[in-house]
Amino acid sequence: MIRSISRRALMQGAAASAILAGFVRPAYAAGRPVRIGVVAPLTGPLALFTEHLDFVIGQVQAQYGGEITINGTVHPLEIIIKDSQSNPNRASEVASELILAHEVDIMTSFGTPETSNPVSDQCDLNGIPSVSTDTPLESWFFGRGGDPSTGFEWSFNFFLNVPDLVNTYLGIWNRVPGNQRKIGLLLANDNDGNAFAGLMPAPLQAEGYSIVDPGRFDLPASNYNAQISAFKKERVDGVIMSLPSPEIAAFWNESAQQGFQPLFMTPGKGGEFPPGIYPFEDRALNLSVEVWWDRTFPYSSSLNGGSSADLADAYEKFSGQQASMALGYTHALFEVALGALKNAANIEDRGTVRDALRDTSHQTVVGPIEFTKGPLPNCWNTPLVGGQWRKGAKWPLELVIVDNTVSPEIPVGGDVEAITYS
Amino acid sequence: MSEFYINVVLQGVLLGGLYALFAIGLALSVGIVRLVNIAHGDLIILASYVLVVLTQSFGLPLWLSFLILVPLMAGFGYVLQQGLLRHVTDKGMLPPLLVTFGLSVIIQNGLLEGFGADTRSFSGGALQTSTWQLAEGIYVGALPALTLLVAVVLIFAIDRLIYGSHFGARLRAVSEAPATAALVGLRVNRVHALALALVGATTAVAALFMGLRMNFDPLSGPGRLIIAFEVIVLGGLGNLWGILAGAILLGVAQSVAGAIDVRLQVLAGHLVFLLIILLRPQGLFQRS
Repeated sequence: MIRSISRRALMQGAAASAILAGFVRPAYAAGRPVRIGVVAPLTGPLALFTEHLDFVIGQVQAQYGGEITINGTVHPLEIIIKDSQSNPNRASEVASELILAHEVDIMTSFGTPETSNPVSDQCDLNGIPSVSTDTPLESWFFGRGGDPSTGFEWSFNFFLNVPDLVNTYLGIWNRVPGNQRKIGLLLANDNDGNAFAGLMPAPLQAEGYSIVDPGRFDLPASNYNAQISAFKKERVDGVIMSLPSPEIAAFWNESAQQGFQPLFMTPGKGGEFPPGIYPFEDRALNLSVEVWWDRTFPYSSSLNGGSSADLADAYEKFSGQQASMALGYTHALFEVALGALKNAANIEDRGTVRDALRDTSHQTVVGPIEFTKGPLPNCWNTPLVGGQWRKGAKWPLELVIVDNTVSPEIPVGGDVEAITYS
Repeated sequence: MSEFYINVVLQGVLLGGLYALFAIGLALSVGIVRLVNIAHGDLIILASYVLVVLTQSFGLPLWLSFLILVPLMAGFGYVLQQGLLRHVTDKGMLPPLLVTFGLSVIIQNGLLEGFGADTRSFSGGALQTSTWQLAEGIYVGALPALTLLVAVVLIFAIDRLIYGSHFGARLRAVSEAPATAALVGLRVNRVHALALALVGATTAVAALFMGLRMNFDPLSGPGRLIIAFEVIVLGGLGNLWGILAGAILLGVAQSVAGAIDVRLQVLAGHLVFLLIILLRPQGLFQRS
């Protein structure tokens, strides 16, 4: 009989111990270890959301030194990270492992509904306080079958909401020169796609837009012939999508092959990240996206007091990579989770951790967060502006804020332009 | 309106070029070695990842990487047959099926371990974006056109090789009657291994054009395998040009159905396949 260690157990053991090593401080800490669980898409098509995680964990470590004081007791602080592989089933699996095997005190998850929703579900089932981000409020709340009159017991989420998103999009699109207000929807059969397809048409039609929707499609799509043909036939002025970056690349390349040249294109999700946009080179210019965080945002961190610009600079110095929107939210997620742990009346009573999380009233690097005052139960909508990709000074492509209809406190850096074709 | 459907059909025909590239290697495996290779799609993905290594880790240009990839994959096919598959090729239907199924699992998990679950594709620069406008609303992209052209040339070349060369006569001999071929002095295993080398070379071509056209990850193999299977069953075994016809039929079915409703796109391909199986179980172009 040969006893074998499964590949998965081996990998997870290695990953977990590597992370624990830096955080466990022996000896004088009096309390038991306090554990933060993290589920994030470290690999797979959503991996762009997680590139800042190591850096942010380093910031937490620098600030906390591996300890957290709760109610007068010093506890060792452990952060345990699990990879969802961009797969909702696996996200759910590793979340339950964090809950049952690692006995985490609070769960954090980020990187689209494909991560946050299954993790939040697991936490509600098991009675573990959970906070998530990078998931639009409607995709998170209604995607999980939430009832606005009751809400959820254990899980919380902060990010943009669809009305703000639509108003930001309209703020950009309405000012695109030559726009005749006919728009194509390129939305997949996933949480975001279904939520957007249900919620977007009404407010767009109210603004006089006619909508061309070829229907939901499964990812990964083998090709976009059918959608491009439909958009060309109806002569749409622009396209809105919410897709991972490889899918956006496939669509945008096929659009060029078929001579489809919209005036505006908003590549939500993947197009919000520099690595998702760089392969297009000049064909990325004036692609427009919603901007949930940028170095120009007038907010500072409750973790270390640094401004948004400080955070972006520190990351770019640390990694040599261009900072992207997810940096601010990854940072803010730990601001909220650590704040809830510190404010908990009794760490042995999960209910008090949950109450502290629910009563969060925090100034974070992505703006103020108050879950009890959001547009939906357990939710808070963060500030939002609109931007376009332009040639930059420090990096080849940088986002320029062109619309602040929703959040006027954030400064605008330029005006809206249509996409040009050579 | 009519140019809309002409364009839809045209894009389907062009997509068929890529599907034909997926299927050529499998048709050779099944036709010559009698090997139903469940790992065929994974071989294509494996070849794609070798291209990823050559272009990204070694920084070689794509065309040069491809020139290196073709002999690499041909060698891999040869070694695969000589080292592993020869032990099962004369053992009936089931053992080769099981062995290649295992191979498929190994390739998928090996790639997942080595490269992670990230989605990849190749950057082909202007090739991916250039296009010719044939008429109002009708466009032919440079890459899809080149893909179809390469598929046609490859099928022509392999057809000539099999039906017009000395080597091809050996291939046909071991395919028709391996025992008799061995009696007259043919080294059946060696011919099989050379056939698998040819299969390996075709997976290199398929890998290049797949990675330029669509995204792939370590688990994309089975999706390519299904397409390859449907194409060779549609076209009928034993006729290489049938592969092209089957591939184009599948591409057009998907494209036209997608134009009616995007959700029907994948389903329609499978429905056409099932329909033809019912009406002509021997495939469209089976040589009697």
